[in-house]
Amino acid sequence: MNTQLGRKVEGFPWIALGTAISVLSWQSQMGSLREPGPGFIGFIAGLFVAVIGLIMVLTVFTSRGSLRGGAGTDITFPIAARPRLLYTVVLLIGYGLLLNTLGYIVTTFLVMWGLFYERGKGRLISSCFASVVTAVITYLVFDVWLRCQFPRGIFPWR
Amino acid sequence: MFGSAASSLAASSHGGEVSVLTDLFYGFSIALQPMNLLACFFGVFIGTLVGVLPGIGPAGAMSLLLPISYGISPVGAIIMLAGIYYGCMYGGSTTSILVNIPGEAASVVTCLDGHQMALQGRAGPALGISAFGSFIAGTFGLIGLMFLANPLAELALKFGPSEYFCLMCLGMSVLIYLTQGSILRGLVMAGVGLFLGLIGQDIVTGTPRYTFGLIGLVDGLGLIPLVMGLYGISEILLNLEKPSQRAIVETKITDLFPNREDWRKSAKPIARGTLLGFFLGILPGGGAVISSFVSYALEKKFSRHPEQFGKGAIEGVAGPESANNSASSGSFIPLFSLGIPANVIMALLLGALMIHGLRPGPLLLKQNPEIFWGTLASMYVGNAMLLALNLPLIGIWVKVLKIPYRTLFPLILLFCLIGAYSVGTNIFDIFVMLFFGVLGYILRKFNYEPAPLILAFVLGPMLEQNLRQALMLSDGNLTVFFTRPLSAASLIVCLFLLVSAIFPSLQRKRSVVAVEGD
Repeated sequence: MNTQLGRKVEGFPWIALGTAISVLSWQSQMGSLREPGPGFIGFIAGLFVAVIGLIMVLTVFTSRGSLRGGAGTDITFPIAARPRLLYTVVLLIGYGLLLNTLGYIVTTFLVMWGLFYERGKGRLISSCFASVVTAVITYLVFDVWLRCQFPRGIFPWR
Repeated sequence: MFGSAASSLAASSHGGEVSVLTDLFYGFSIALQPMNLLACFFGVFIGTLVGVLPGIGPAGAMSLLLPISYGISPVGAIIMLAGIYYGCMYGGSTTSILVNIPGEAASVVTCLDGHQMALQGRAGPALGISAFGSFIAGTFGLIGLMFLANPLAELALKFGPSEYFCLMCLGMSVLIYLTQGSILRGLVMAGVGLFLGLIGQDIVTGTPRYTFGLIGLVDGLGLIPLVMGLYGISEILLNLEKPSQRAIVETKITDLFPNREDWRKSAKPIARGTLLGFFLGILPGGGAVISSFVSYALEKKFSRHPEQFGKGAIEGVAGPESANNSASSGSFIPLFSLGIPANVIMALLLGALMIHGLRPGPLLLKQNPEIFWGTLASMYVGNAMLLALNLPLIGIWVKVLKIPYRTLFPLILLFCLIGAYSVGTNIFDIFVMLFFGVLGYILRKFNYEPAPLILAFVLGPMLEQNLRQALMLSDGNLTVFFTRPLSAASLIVCLFLLVSAIFPSLQRKRSVVAVEGD
């Protein structure tokens, strides 16, 4: 997405989000000025977000000449980095999904192996060794020493 | 021995008749207890490490280590977390000077002249003046904190809910106004943060709201997963796009003690940076980052040779480094005396205090003097520790910089996962962190700053409580926010800042100031 297109459309999601927040807040009792309800501030917050979104849209459509992105604006998602980003996010989601089932040590080892392997340009043994060391040391520090209570999982160890 | 002295002093402190120095002595009796001393050392060490390593700032590090603080006393926890913050301010300059990559945002401006000095073979004096300037400014900032926090807390006891509500609005507005980039984006972030802070049970009726049927949301979103996601995970995702090569200046670091000429040039910038940083730190929304930029611009204006700035002027290192350390001390004042965090770091400290069952605000100084005076005294000790850590051990920090990013980033990710999970031993928090990590990545791509969102998230519940109380007490009369002088003044400033977001001419003036700072 280029900078100009990004600036043109950036107000719309905020209008939608702000409207949704306001509707949700309206449904959860607004109350009155004398006795504000649970949805009172939420309604104001939603309205505020929607109005700012509207101002963003109006600013873009009423401004003449070229649109200027803010200093340092970088609305680019490099193609080369996409698989790496996706791979990292999937590994992290996998960590959350597997932690309760496999326990801390096994899940941490697997995810760390995946991360070290990808960034270590395919060094299988060294990344495996680094993952084992990381899983064991963090287990000793956080679970044994600091008593963080990680899930045990299906194995007899954590 | 310390214990009995401490308790007797604490008792007298409640009477309010003891001098500041006696209170400070009481603070030292707490700060010098072995466990608190260890907490202080651990905090400043980790802070320096985090400051040295680009990629994880003080907010990420503090949220990462917050779960560890559960096992120690409240005062030890706050001492450790505060140590991370001001330790980071010290450590950040090392990377700026040697690698030209700021370890954290407040050291961005140090890159300009610090790195140039290093390229000219003067890395030693640059690192030295940065450490000494930080020490001097940090110490003077603490003296200011010592004398100002108590009177302000006394004054704050007279504030009602309308004043608190308006002060919080002012804090958020100033932060939005001073953050980089578009004000409109900052305002949107604050609105979203305010909404996120409301998720969970209603403070008055106890009914769940905005939970979408998810049990994990009934108690609200956790501050730690939110901060870790927006700062830690998103930062790593952004860094994955960039090449991980760092060019460290290959020079022998000698002459860490600046010479007489360096001191002559730096004395006034240090003094100005200290004063400026301290007062900008007190302001809601101000803090280390802004003060370092303003200090640099100020020194350039005061200098007889402004053309030397950006080419290795030592004043360009001394002023901003002093300012950011002084600001870090000053920003504790609104937190301890009003219970209002001035920036994201203070918001995290506020969260830490609340986790330990303490209620930050004017009564904290009376009910828990050990927290304020213990933390303050520990900061004197911590500043001395940092001087020892930063100068003789500079070689170690340079070696740390050589650790490849491919090794560091999986470890940072793992610490984020552990940190998010261990807060409530809940898998749901991991997913919350990941959600905000991806969201933070996208938002930062579009140049949205996460700071207003986090501050609004923390202030949201307090803001709601005070607004609802003020309206109920005034029988729904909105003029209550305009008839009291402090409320009215705060709202006028807020309105001015909001109006400036809408009128482009005022926006341009703000951009000019930012460019001058750059």
